[in-house]
Amino acid sequence: MENQLRDIEKEAMEAIEKASDPKSLEGLKIKFLGRKGRLTSILKSLGGLPKEQRPIVGKLSNEIKARIEKAIGERMEALKGLASGPELIKGFDPSLPGRRLHLGHLHPITKILNEVCHVFEKMGFSVAQGPEIELDFYNFEALNIPPDHPARDMQDTFYVDDKVLLRTHTSPIQIRTMEKMAPPIRIIAPGKVYRCDSDVTHTPMFHQVEGLMVDKEVSFSHLKGILTHFAQEIFDRDTAVRFRPSFFPFTEPSAEIDIQCVMCRGKGCRVCSQTGWIEVLGAGLVHPAVFRYVDIDPQQYSGFAFGLGIERIAMLRYGIDDIRLFYDNDLRFLKQF
Amino acid sequence: MLVLASWLREIAPFEADYMEVAERLTLAGLEVEAVEPAFPWMEKAQVARISRVEPVREDKDVTLCTVETGNGEVKVICGAPDVYEGMLTIYVPPGTEMPDGKEIKESQVYGHVSKGMLCSRMEVMLEGDEGHLFDISKEFPSAKVGQSLSFVAGMEDLVFEIGITPNRPDCLSITGVAREVSALFKCPLKPPQVGFDVSQVSQPDISIEIRDTELCRRYVGAVIDGVRVERSPGWMARRLAACGVRPINNIVDITNYVLMEMGQPLHAFDLHTLEGPKIIVRLSEEGECIVTLDGKEHKLPKDVLLICDQKRPVAVAGVMGGLDTEVTEKTSSILLESAWFAPWSIRRTAKMLKLPSEASYRFERGVDRDGQLLAAKRAVDLFLDLAGGIFKGIRDENPRPYKPERITLRPSRTNILLGTSLQADSMAEILESIEIEVENRSTDSIEVIVPSFRPDLKEEIDLVEEVARLHGFASIPTTSPVGDLIVKSAESDKAFTDMIRHFLTGQGCSEIISYSFISPQELQALGLSAEDPRTMAVKLKNPLAEDQSIMRTNLVCSMLSTISRNLKKRNMDLRLYETGAIFIDRGHGILPDEHQRLCCAITGRRFPLNWAWPEEDVDFFDMKGLAENLFCHIGLEGACFKVSSKPEPFYIPGTGVDIVSKQGIQLGTLGQIAPEVLTSFDILSEVFLLDFSLNELKDEASQETRFKPLARFPAVDLDLSIIVDDSVRAQDILGFIEDAKSDLLENIFIFDVYRGRPVPKGKKSLAFRFIYRAGDHTLAESEVLAVHNPLVDRLLEKFNAEMRS
Repeated sequence: MENQLRDIEKEAMEAIEKASDPKSLEGLKIKFLGRKGRLTSILKSLGGLPKEQRPIVGKLSNEIKARIEKAIGERMEALKGLASGPELIKGFDPSLPGRRLHLGHLHPITKILNEVCHVFEKMGFSVAQGPEIELDFYNFEALNIPPDHPARDMQDTFYVDDKVLLRTHTSPIQIRTMEKMAPPIRIIAPGKVYRCDSDVTHTPMFHQVEGLMVDKEVSFSHLKGILTHFAQEIFDRDTAVRFRPSFFPFTEPSAEIDIQCVMCRGKGCRVCSQTGWIEVLGAGLVHPAVFRYVDIDPQQYSGFAFGLGIERIAMLRYGIDDIRLFYDNDLRFLKQF
Repeated sequence: MLVLASWLREIAPFEADYMEVAERLTLAGLEVEAVEPAFPWMEKAQVARISRVEPVREDKDVTLCTVETGNGEVKVICGAPDVYEGMLTIYVPPGTEMPDGKEIKESQVYGHVSKGMLCSRMEVMLEGDEGHLFDISKEFPSAKVGQSLSFVAGMEDLVFEIGITPNRPDCLSITGVAREVSALFKCPLKPPQVGFDVSQVSQPDISIEIRDTELCRRYVGAVIDGVRVERSPGWMARRLAACGVRPINNIVDITNYVLMEMGQPLHAFDLHTLEGPKIIVRLSEEGECIVTLDGKEHKLPKDVLLICDQKRPVAVAGVMGGLDTEVTEKTSSILLESAWFAPWSIRRTAKMLKLPSEASYRFERGVDRDGQLLAAKRAVDLFLDLAGGIFKGIRDENPRPYKPERITLRPSRTNILLGTSLQADSMAEILESIEIEVENRSTDSIEVIVPSFRPDLKEEIDLVEEVARLHGFASIPTTSPVGDLIVKSAESDKAFTDMIRHFLTGQGCSEIISYSFISPQELQALGLSAEDPRTMAVKLKNPLAEDQSIMRTNLVCSMLSTISRNLKKRNMDLRLYETGAIFIDRGHGILPDEHQRLCCAITGRRFPLNWAWPEEDVDFFDMKGLAENLFCHIGLEGACFKVSSKPEPFYIPGTGVDIVSKQGIQLGTLGQIAPEVLTSFDILSEVFLLDFSLNELKDEASQETRFKPLARFPAVDLDLSIIVDDSVRAQDILGFIEDAKSDLLENIFIFDVYRGRPVPKGKKSLAFRFIYRAGDHTLAESEVLAVHNPLVDRLLEKFNAEMRS
């Protein structure tokens, strides 16, 4: 009798271990512990045993019953909790890859452009825009670059005819905005610009973002504040920023703004031509001549303007070494952003 | 601008090291782009010992020398007569660029390989014998094999490559840069001294006539007789070479030397070749000819400023001299020209003749308005010193003498503009440090006299910049502006475009950005009719290449060429879109019609290749579904797809549909690209394309979202399956139901389309689901059927359809 009990226990335990779903476990419970179950039928036959054995076998069978119940209970918990083992549900392989749809990507230029605009939008600048094919007047003359001025050599221009050209910078948007709006002005103007130049570091079309702030008593010190904040938002809070005098006909004083090289942290490398600095922005106080063109009184108002090349920032941020990749639109490139 | 460090230090004796000078100049606006060895050939040239000399050609003093160099033994063919075994001389390895611009190459001479060159003093630009090999131990007894010539001869000098901005012509000379250095390092400025007083000098026997005093405001001519034209001394040749000017002969070199030193371009004529001798400065007649120094003949248009003698043009003023009056070895008398020409005139001429020169570069930016006489005297000094001869006098035609301008700087305004709190005194001090003379000064005004060499200083802000620059941008505080929090916003469609971009990206499409220029062939490949406005492309006058010569009038061409490029790289599953401007020409002198469009195209598999997806290719309805979702996303209601009456020629006939707004505005088109168009773009896959006007889309989508209360009563769904002729279009049936719609019909859609058995040939089965609902009660079946049955009957009759059993 005792052996019989132990066999039942062994059989039950093995079956419980193998049970892969709550339903079959429920079946086992009935099979072993139910009213017509194996253990019950043995208990029912206890009466046929010698008197002295009854309490021993009875105790044993109660112990076994308790153990089987416990095992079924634990197994049930395990099955409910699931996923503790790889083969709990037959043939289910959660390691197979998921059912993915095609994933879309924004162009890296758009991503950086949005980031740049966002930094300024948080400071109360709004987005402005202007035409890509421009009049000579807006691209040059109103920006204090008269015909026959050597500053025109600073940019190789695509011409349509003697009055119409592809804008060489986003600066004409400054003029178009100041024609329409009165100070205070705070705008940021992203867009495509064109120069006839093409090599590893130049494409004939690229993107710039122009910024303009005009108000009473806007100073060079403010320009430094805003652009330092910008550089640190776009690159790194610890990025060192350097302001260097330069020349743009439509700003004065004019500055070029370098950031500490993001590759070598200022030690000097190939990317920064060993200088430790990388030029990222051109800026300056709006030239009084520009204000006069748009009928804003330079004695009453002042302002600053800046421009930056998006490709350059994107190349630095993503470590891209050939600018032409942006316009080749190879999916293997686009997928990385 | 190349500036030799030692030359700079001669004029501004600074004590700082060269790297600090470079740094400070950069931070003062003279960007030092590079610091390089001044005499690179002297770095490569090294002391070597000739260990063996073997004759090659007895008759010609040619020998084959075995030379011990710092990096081993080489054999060099040598033509010098005085070579001997054991001699220490100078060896230049192959690959070295010599001061005359020639590169030393490994060569075959008389059947021997010659690796490099043994040099005379002259060849490495040192003073001394021309014909003899440099016997270096005689002069530098401690010279050792392998040491560089620059080290042995003490010629370790640097050259600063400085990017001078167009507003600073005064810094296009060593003296100009030295003026900045002296201000930055507070060291004296010692410009070259000129040794004679012009009032003591007689007038030379030459007349000068300026006919256009607007374009030529001063012309100084100096005459020297009996000069020797020969090679310049080594120190001068070296300085010129280091500054990027090739030495030619002492006369020409002196004019270039003064140009580099003082920034005043000079020109020397062979006096005997000048008719008269007389100089006339005048504008050209149409068709006049001149052969310039570079040997090129120019047929001139009208109104080019010329320097002429009594008979003919002898120089293009400020740009280049004429060939037949140039100084040659036979020259004995010279006329030196030192003049001021109007910048715009020189710029126009140099550009037109494509003759940029060191002279025109400076004239077009503006040379010292009052520096002509001083530069001429400096040159005369050097001529007498280095070329001998007798000074015959100087003539100074100065019809418009320089009158200096005055500018007032307001210290208070300056401090407001810069955000500084500088004292008037320190501002005045800064200005004086760069030789701007302060005439009157008080606490609220500084009146200065503009120096003749600073044509860029025209108004107060120009002085503000000088103060800021020399005070140092780094010393200006970094602050946050204070102003109104709310300012008026500018207008832009960026927010709308961004919404579209984000939607399409979420739909698995990747954004492309392509060039705005396309090729005329690509445009032609679309097969647009002649009256289509998109054939009116804006043409560039100066495109980089023919295939980038017109501005795009649509986004389809760039999309197809991008797809083509990707397919060639085996990127087969493509879902791409682009937003960007297109341009339609409206004629000369006016801006084209420019507006924003959106183009999206798909090709390849519907799903990524994966165990769990069926392998299917995209089709027309993928593209259409995308468009429909887009409309939902931007809140555009009631747009419909209409089979186009005038379909786009680049779609397969029958697939091209117009997308029209509820108001009847054409928003765009959708279709499958025609095979012949695919062929011209070299595409083998099927391509489906969506092309929208972003502007129209934005205008039509601007309705605000209004919430509709959720239905409280259950709906009744009824399905209807009918068999109709294949030619019946789904839209016609749906439109019919729409028109006959009762208030109870909430929605209707097609959930199955089937062709094939048991549906007869030429027919199809369409299954519709009708959803009926009332807003205020639960519908009874009888109520629904009372509406539904008559509708079905009319539908069957109208479309000659039968119920599918």
